[in-house]
Amino acid sequence: MDETALIHSAQQGDLNAFNTIILHYQDAVFNTAMRILGDEDMAQDAAQEAFISAFQSIKTFRGGSFKAWILRTVTNACLDELRRQKRRPTTPLEPETSDGEEMDSPKWLADSSMTPAQKAEADELEHAIQHCLDALPTEFRTAVVLADVQGMDYTEVASAVRVPLGTIKSRLARARLRLRECLRSFEELLPSSFRLEEENIR
Amino acid sequence: MKNFRDIETLSAYIDGQLNASDTARLEARLKTDPELASVMNDLRAARGILRKLPARKAPRNFTLTRQMVGLKPPMPRTYPLFRLATAFAAVLFLFSFTATTLAPMINFSSMSAPVGYGSGGGCDGCGGGGGADPTMEAAMAAESAPVAATEESLAQDIAPTTTADPAAAAMAPVEVTPDSSRILETPSAKESAPEAADQTEVENEAPSPPFNWTILFLVITVIGVGVLWIMTLTARNKWR
Repeated sequence: MDETALIHSAQQGDLNAFNTIILHYQDAVFNTAMRILGDEDMAQDAAQEAFISAFQSIKTFRGGSFKAWILRTVTNACLDELRRQKRRPTTPLEPETSDGEEMDSPKWLADSSMTPAQKAEADELEHAIQHCLDALPTEFRTAVVLADVQGMDYTEVASAVRVPLGTIKSRLARARLRLRECLRSFEELLPSSFRLEEENIR
Repeated sequence: MKNFRDIETLSAYIDGQLNASDTARLEARLKTDPELASVMNDLRAARGILRKLPARKAPRNFTLTRQMVGLKPPMPRTYPLFRLATAFAAVLFLFSFTATTLAPMINFSSMSAPVGYGSGGGCDGCGGGGGADPTMEAAMAAESAPVAATEESLAQDIAPTTTADPAAAAMAPVEVTPDSSRILETPSAKESAPEAADQTEVENEAPSPPFNWTILFLVITVIGVGVLWIMTLTARNKWR
């Protein structure tokens, strides 16, 4: 795939060329939205919104890392969604299960630190990590998702979030510190190679 | 617990974002400070866990359709011209229609003022309607008398035979004009040709139909919309 040629065609209004680009980046875009928002349906909406927005503004792309550019678009879509949520919280007062029955112990009533029983239930590492990510402030979460989940370097993250490089450096450090504290409570779920305080100095 | 500056330096170190001198200084400290080394390991483990996080695959394709991005088929160059002309014709039609519909109502309301005109409808003013005030009519007749006399003499010069016979003159359709109606409003004319006055009123009530602009604008608008529709359909079919 000649990405530059596809981008050039898309800039001329070629939707098929842009759809080819979408197929290449849709996993990364969805994954980023999923990790920032923590909800699959919202992540799908944000990803779709981001691609529409990206096509409409692709003429503003002036070269460089297209991945960073498209991830910036989806990050903005996620931040917009989070702002919307903040303005209009949609948590029902009496949450129900999919069967329409009221939940006995809804998650939102539980203490932020999970009980040992709940921890045991969270048998998937992914859920535990997502729980820790969700507990981070949005700006820390965004930085850590772009840098550690998507593997972008500091410059790309700074460009995507539009903040100075030093701010990204600081946010990443704080985010990792908080993640470290959060992941401690899921020690038993972590693979042995990632057990905290058990790593040897490289 | 190390201070935040140390944490930030360690975080940058594990990302390879420190310059050579800072890296050397930190590595020297790590060798002598086990607590610092432990914190670094924790940060590195946290980073490693996130990097090993399984990548979620998109549950569906996010490819876009033309409708989603609001793309429209490329139209012929003449399309904007037709669109402008159609819009202009539509505006003119609305204006004309409104004017022809509302004008009689406005005339009626103004002419039914205390003066007493307008018992005969919208065009009564021009025809000197039947319910006119007698004093006002007399004044108008007095005003128009000299003119009528002049015009009468002119008419005599042009057609002496018609003036010789007032009844015949009244019957001649050629002489039934707005001016002649003024002539007939004079007392002498009324006396000499009452039938002519009746004929004049009949002619004023049924004038020749004026050119109907409203219908013309409507036709242009309809044709314009049709042409635009055909252009759009053709462009869409070509686009497919």
